[in-house]
Amino acid sequence: MGSIWAVAINTIKQALRLKVAAVFLILLLVLLPVMGFSATGDGTLKGRLQTFVSYGLSLTSILLCLLTIIISIYSVTSDIEQRQIYTVITKPIRRFQFLLGKLLGVVLLDVILLSLFSAIIYTITIYTPQFFNATETERNQANNEFFTARAALAIPAVDVSQEVRDRYEQLKRNRELPEDISYKEIIAELTMQQQLAKRAADVGQVLVWEFNNVEPLDQSMFIKFKYDVAVNPPDMQVYGRWFAGDYQYIKYGTESKTPVYDRIHKHSVRDFHEIEIPAAVVPEHGHLAVAFQNAPLNNTVIIFPPDGLEVLYKSDTFTSNFVRAVLLILSRLIFLACLGILASTFLSFPVAILLCLFLFATASFSGFVIESFSYLNVNIGKIYSYTVKWIVQLLPQFDKYNPTKFLVPARLLSWSLLARCAGVMVCIKAFLLLVIALIIFSYREIAKIIV
Amino acid sequence: MSNNATDMEYAVETFSLTKIFSDWWGRAKVYAVDDLNLQVRYNEVFGLLGPNGSGKTTTLKMLLGLLHPTKGRALVLGGDGTDSKINSRIGFLPEESYLYRYLNARETLDFYGRLFGLPPKVRKMRIEALLDMVGLKAVANRPVGTFSKGMARRIGLAQALINDPDLLILDEPTTGLDPIGTRQIKDLILKLAERGKTVLLCSHLLADVEDVCDRIAILYGGKIQNQGQVRDLLQQTNKRQITTDAITDTAVEKIKRIIQDEHAVCEVTSPMEKLETFFIKTVAAAQQQVQTISGAVSTTKIGAFLAPETATENILDKLVSAPVSKESLPESPTTEKVVPVESPTPEPDEELLTKLTGSAETLQPEPVVRDESSPSDGLDEKVTTQPVESEAPQAEQEQIDKSILEKLTGLSRPQGQDEEQTDKSQAGDAGDG
Repeated sequence: MGSIWAVAINTIKQALRLKVAAVFLILLLVLLPVMGFSATGDGTLKGRLQTFVSYGLSLTSILLCLLTIIISIYSVTSDIEQRQIYTVITKPIRRFQFLLGKLLGVVLLDVILLSLFSAIIYTITIYTPQFFNATETERNQANNEFFTARAALAIPAVDVSQEVRDRYEQLKRNRELPEDISYKEIIAELTMQQQLAKRAADVGQVLVWEFNNVEPLDQSMFIKFKYDVAVNPPDMQVYGRWFAGDYQYIKYGTESKTPVYDRIHKHSVRDFHEIEIPAAVVPEHGHLAVAFQNAPLNNTVIIFPPDGLEVLYKSDTFTSNFVRAVLLILSRLIFLACLGILASTFLSFPVAILLCLFLFATASFSGFVIESFSYLNVNIGKIYSYTVKWIVQLLPQFDKYNPTKFLVPARLLSWSLLARCAGVMVCIKAFLLLVIALIIFSYREIAKIIV
Repeated sequence: MSNNATDMEYAVETFSLTKIFSDWWGRAKVYAVDDLNLQVRYNEVFGLLGPNGSGKTTTLKMLLGLLHPTKGRALVLGGDGTDSKINSRIGFLPEESYLYRYLNARETLDFYGRLFGLPPKVRKMRIEALLDMVGLKAVANRPVGTFSKGMARRIGLAQALINDPDLLILDEPTTGLDPIGTRQIKDLILKLAERGKTVLLCSHLLADVEDVCDRIAILYGGKIQNQGQVRDLLQQTNKRQITTDAITDTAVEKIKRIIQDEHAVCEVTSPMEKLETFFIKTVAAAQQQVQTISGAVSTTKIGAFLAPETATENILDKLVSAPVSKESLPESPTTEKVVPVESPTPEPDEELLTKLTGSAETLQPEPVVRDESSPSDGLDEKVTTQPVESEAPQAEQEQIDKSILEKLTGLSRPQGQDEEQTDKSQAGDAGDG
């Protein structure tokens, strides 16, 4: 353990004294406070906070990822290329201890830098409302929609298979089925149409969403929504009457023991809006309904896009959500450190850097990359799906578990999600890379120069 | 002396150790080390000699597990050179001091001390002792990246000694060092040997090897060409040397007459001082005028922890307190005592060199080269014109040296008969790098 620690400390000294880390350190120390002033977002306090946290964390994450790749590769390859390893590995240190020491050093450095920068981001975020003398309404909005961690009630899937089948039969009877499209594609198209129909409300029509087993809440609930319209209203705004409460009252008009929310709001179209709903509307039996009526004042059909409605409730604080987001970044860094160490056990510095940067980019856009395979034609697609796709899927999906995706909309990044994500990324994928690295390094000839 | 593994005969032993460097396709390219059987006994100073690319460094790397042997096996201290337990008893100085240039001297030694798991107290004590010993105490807080080659060498040596090793493996220990540093390292090696350490050093600086080694092996093309006791290899048993205080010419004439009665030839000169000795004296004199320099300071100190059980108080006190000039002189009793061979010193070197450079000025008594040299043969007076060591005996070459010389002269003419061997050596050179 002593020798692992010695190598780790030496690695940190190397990173700091050779100014690799110093460059990143200064860059971030300058950029973060500047961004705190310059990031304005949509002009509101909430927008300012969202922009700052989003850019601040993304920048920190990207720079630390690059730093991790560079340092983990440099500290191993330079030891081999400049041959300091001759005097190190001939001391009573096993080769795996040497690599573990390097990894520990890189990870420790990451922990230190990440805590420093996230502390800066956190402090700036917390003090932004005071610093900019925000108004009470702005602060309220920020507290409800930013300084919190909200979970969403699961929206039940709408079953449209019956309608789809009926429609299909109808089309078949009328011989209106297009001939150059397969059955599967027709069904998919019809399903989409039917689901859209379920989310569309004609003037005066009511849409109802039901939620089962809702736990009693101690804080307000929020409906977050976006309107699409068939015909643009003159002022681009529409009226909507919103209900929330016991499903029996809303569906059948029976007596309700709990209060029911019922109000008309005017909102602009094609933007996200939120309305706050008191926690008291949740009935004891937990069967909650949310309903929307296209107010008769409008003269257009209102449609909710697929992600156009969410029912959110506060479930944790901003601080703990922030901590988990930072831990998510850390697990990403640990993965990259292992990747860098692996690459440097058998590649020279420039090649290893290129490979790791390529893999990092792929992991950062993995969703896009994987999706793009489905647009390839069948034959080439098969080749890819057995080779590249397989490799891409082995990489962690940095874009899917992007911490700003949780912090900006104040969505809950739960411990279980973090554990699952970090577990796969660190305990399985990174560990696998490390094992391969240890095996290669244990058997390679140290004094053999890789050109 | 103090080895706990004395039941084993050899500190280092190789069994047909072979290293073939192959190209990208796996085809054998170079026999860097070829069927090498090397035995280094405990408590001896063993010198591995050879020209560039003869496989010295490759051999050391295989001993330490930095390279895998293609064939054969190497035992170091009775075990595998990659075993941590064995490693903790080895000190290794590579051919250049590869140091972390961002660490300062003290941190460098601290890092290596930690690798050995030395407890903090011991580590601190040893670091200070070693810094003192290699004369870098004044610059201990400077990054080693700013060090000159000689200073880096000193730190390299210090890191090899931090664990008080039983076996010291030194690859070209004196490269880059000034004459004083060289002398110090040689003295140090002798002192360590005196204290029961085994030293395996490889070098092509023949003078260094000759001064310190008990046994040597000469490597060429990855094979041992010659090995044995330095004394046996070099001593000219058919000659005698008499050194006296200044005596009158008449006394000299008398002696000459006596020798002539014996039908032997003799030559009389005043002994010349060695340049090394002269140099050290000069610098020591300057040091006493306290001229500060920026680099390393020459000391004759030795870390007390290096086998303290055998180090008697007297020797240490003397070593620490004695001024440089006296200590460093080769005539000093400490050195004399340990160097087993003192008479036949560097004369053979001179001859080898002359041969290699193809100079015909000097008369060579050896038959191989005789045809090239001037026809006046057997005239020993001629040799006396050599300005170098007159304290060394007259050159009447021994038979043992002949084979070595033949090979070496072959080397000086690369287009010569031994083309395959030359090939190997060049390629071995590349492999070494």
